[in-house]
Amino acid sequence: MSFDLSLIVETVPKMLVGIGLTFQLLVISAVLGLILAVVLLLMRISGKWYLNWPAQAYIYVFRGTPILVQIFIIYYGFPQLEFIRDGILWPIFRDPFGCAIVALSLNTGAYVSEILRGGVLGVDRGVLEAGEALGLSKSQRFVYLTTPIATRLALPAYGNDIISLLKSTALASTITLMDMTGIARTIVAQTYAPYEIFVSLAIIYMILTFFLQKLLGRVETYLGRYTQREG
Amino acid sequence: MDVLVGWWDDFFWGSVVVLKVFLASLVLMVVFGLIGAAAKLSNSRIAQKIAGGYTVVFRGTPEILVILLLYFGSAITLTAIAQIFNPEIKFLDVPPFWAGTIAIALIVGSYATETFRGAFLGVKPGSIEAAQALGMSTFQTFFYVRVPEMWRLALPAFGNHMLSLIKDTALISIIGLNETLFVAKQAIGTTGKPFTMYIVVGLIYLGFSTVITLSVMALEAYGSRHIRGAK
Repeated sequence: MSFDLSLIVETVPKMLVGIGLTFQLLVISAVLGLILAVVLLLMRISGKWYLNWPAQAYIYVFRGTPILVQIFIIYYGFPQLEFIRDGILWPIFRDPFGCAIVALSLNTGAYVSEILRGGVLGVDRGVLEAGEALGLSKSQRFVYLTTPIATRLALPAYGNDIISLLKSTALASTITLMDMTGIARTIVAQTYAPYEIFVSLAIIYMILTFFLQKLLGRVETYLGRYTQREG
Repeated sequence: MDVLVGWWDDFFWGSVVVLKVFLASLVLMVVFGLIGAAAKLSNSRIAQKIAGGYTVVFRGTPEILVILLLYFGSAITLTAIAQIFNPEIKFLDVPPFWAGTIAIALIVGSYATETFRGAFLGVKPGSIEAAQALGMSTFQTFFYVRVPEMWRLALPAFGNHMLSLIKDTALISIIGLNETLFVAKQAIGTTGKPFTMYIVVGLIYLGFSTVITLSVMALEAYGSRHIRGAK
């Protein structure tokens, strides 16, 4: 047993071929998940029980079950159901990439909507009262006051969720997708050199996490530009 | 539900495995978290660096990769060591139960490190000073003043860590642990009903999550019983 450096040099470029797929999974699910999260948030703060309850049930189910089980239900489970096979969405559920996107978006949407709700609840009442005193309507207050402040408050937690999402994309390898982890697992099955390959892949993921954090830090500084004080 | 006849006991024993992994990893996670937090709070530069490296590595790497690396890596190392004594041995591994348990405990322990550190720093200096003024020893101060206050501060995040642990147990099926997801795979092989089987797995995990959430709520109420009046 030895640490084979030439193997690393040889396999890292092969694994990096999968980075495109990892990014696609990350970006598409992050965008779809955010849209879903906003819808769920609006349902929860609508004050109407027939909107609030389904949203709460959805969040409870998707946060209470492992993402791997959700992926398996969608990819392996859905084809069992006739109305899915006959439905118009079948091209999406037949394709492992489509299934991975659906599962990751549905999952991250549940988590992000809770993060956004935390931001909305954190908005100072005084600001909203000031808005009311200035004659802003309820929807104006939401768009011009709640949204920017809540976004700022929710951003650090949202950043953590994006990192989690990046790590969850590795699970796409369990439904035959050849993202970086999928490629690495294939190489390990051929060479049986788990240390070299999995450690170098872990380093690649850590570098990605690092840059994502830098990027999110930039966004945080940008959004907080009005709130900065000297010292 | 007819297809499930004959599989209930398998799912039950799968759930027992989930519970065992959860309990074992919970203990290890607390140990890793406390060691990590102690190292980060210590005066030793080296200990701080090591703990910092630990949190960066395990928070930036996908869970599935840590599990695969620990399982296959330890198998290779063990086999190599065993072959020194007995060249006949072809393959020797750490049981998936322990490889998986240690892997998820290390991952969630890296998050717990930050939780425990934050809780320790969150104890009010006034409380400590009051304890000293009352003539309490360092030991007494720790157990009667620090721990109850840390407990209250750490519980909400600690509850989330427990939920992460229970959900991460599903990933251990990838290295062949016979927990619920593994049972479902076998059941699908015989019955050809993937949707039904994976939904059962989802419901089992939802049950576990619910129990954990309710327990944490009860513990939170218990932990803050002295300050209820002040709210």
